[in-house]
Amino acid sequence: MPELKVDFLGKELNNPLVLPAGVMGMSYSGMEFSSKNGAGLITSKSLTLQARSGHKGPVVAEFEGGILNCMGLCNPGIINGLQEVDEFKKRSGNSVIVSVFATNSADFVILTRYVNKSHADFLELNLSCPNVFDEFGIPLAASGEEVYKIVKAVKKESKLPVIAKLSPNVYDIVAIAKAAKTAGADALCLINTVGPGMLIDTKMVKSVLFNKFGGLSGPCIKPIALKLIYQIYSAIDIPILGMGGVTTGEDAIQMLMAGANIVGVGTAVYKRGIEVFDKINIEIKEYMNQMGYANLQQIPKLKKIEN
Amino acid sequence: MDKRVTLKIAKIIKETDTIKTFFFEHELGAKPGQFIMLTDFEGGEKPFSIADSNSQEFCITVKKVGEFTARLFTKKEGDYVSIRGPYGSSFFISAGNVLLVGGGYGTPPLYFLTKKLLENGAKVSVVNGAKTKDDLVFCDKFQKLELEYKNITQSGCLGRAGTSVDLACECLRRKKYDFIYAAGPEMMMKSLYPYLENYQFEFLFERYMKCAIGICGNCTIDPLGIRLCVEGPVLPKKIVDKLTEFGKYHRDATGKRVKF
Repeated sequence: MPELKVDFLGKELNNPLVLPAGVMGMSYSGMEFSSKNGAGLITSKSLTLQARSGHKGPVVAEFEGGILNCMGLCNPGIINGLQEVDEFKKRSGNSVIVSVFATNSADFVILTRYVNKSHADFLELNLSCPNVFDEFGIPLAASGEEVYKIVKAVKKESKLPVIAKLSPNVYDIVAIAKAAKTAGADALCLINTVGPGMLIDTKMVKSVLFNKFGGLSGPCIKPIALKLIYQIYSAIDIPILGMGGVTTGEDAIQMLMAGANIVGVGTAVYKRGIEVFDKINIEIKEYMNQMGYANLQQIPKLKKIEN
Repeated sequence: MDKRVTLKIAKIIKETDTIKTFFFEHELGAKPGQFIMLTDFEGGEKPFSIADSNSQEFCITVKKVGEFTARLFTKKEGDYVSIRGPYGSSFFISAGNVLLVGGGYGTPPLYFLTKKLLENGAKVSVVNGAKTKDDLVFCDKFQKLELEYKNITQSGCLGRAGTSVDLACECLRRKKYDFIYAAGPEMMMKSLYPYLENYQFEFLFERYMKCAIGICGNCTIDPLGIRLCVEGPVLPKKIVDKLTEFGKYHRDATGKRVKF
């Protein structure tokens, strides 16, 4: 049988599939349910200093290529959120990434101190939520300078490995990735949702999302994710948590080949059910069997782009 | 794939001062217990249980409880709203003697269920309770069907004062039932629960829902983490028996736990 175990920043994961931030990670039980259905690593909802209700609905809209969402960073706040994380850790052997969101490095540092006191395994900095523009403006991940400043400040404080979550909606993602790496980021997570975009109801002549705009996820963004992961993999030596439209084992293998070390599966939870993690793990194994690979490390990567 | 459809409100029936039923001419293809998400694109999208559904039309029964439903109450026949669904699990359609326990504006989905149970040849008893008669709905509709029906209010405005759980207990003492169903306030189901140890049953639950497609995790229930929008809202005994948050707390829009 092919082996799916994989090392990520010093932790052994049962398989390379990750529950990304914003999906099912609101409660300890949601995290555990995802684990039991085959996720190898769990990410909490992005936590902020204060609880947030998020945007008014509709917060999701479906279209042929995937879905748009504008949840608006709803979360129970860092203190309640970490209680859920700790409860999950008590009940499960699975590792957890705590995702945090703030708008400046001082707040990110405060959040980091809270996370230090929890049982989390990794810290993810959500620098790239595209759905709170009206409130906070352009995501931090749009500026290499901002990314550098925040990662640097957090790294000084964090007891856990730090993962920077990047936005695909930038002109030069490699420059941003380099800034994160230079500031000391231990890994990168990409991509966050694409766009944002919009959909219109033609009978009522209204934007379907109440927030008007929302980030795209699902199959339509996979080619963008692959390209950006591949560009960063080619340019920098840093572990990558790759995600964006992964729905099948074939998609996950493409992510690994583009340079991802582990792979996030989010929107596909809707398309294929919560069992999607088990299903994709089986599909990866089938591919490995067919190709004669005994472990994930044997799956070849693309040849890097030459500069 | 996209389950959203924008429809004109075909008909509005005022049930009580604070409860209305909205009809839509649309083949929803729903099963009893399932729900739709409804929005007017003015801020907010909420889940509503389906009170009845056939090949021509479906309806939902709405209680005015907040800003969103207050706005919905200003809509007129012919106005558009946008819906998506049906979503979620549905009731098992049993045969034999069945008892349906309804509470307040939670009762209407049991009407849709009753029709399917009767089609299946079940012998149906319905007990319907509410705080006052202003929250007691569908009495006439149930009474038009071939079934045993009783209602009661806590205020005693219809004679006797009591709850639908009181009536249910009387039924359980009098007759042998093959399956029990309940829909209404969680605390009603919580007080009914101890009497159902030796029965097969299904309860219709309510939690704060946002995406309704199983992604956001807002409606997960402890300790199982099942999503009320996908694995629920109808949950069978074997699941209810395991729920630690049943009748204790639920999560609000931020995901914070709130006690009942």
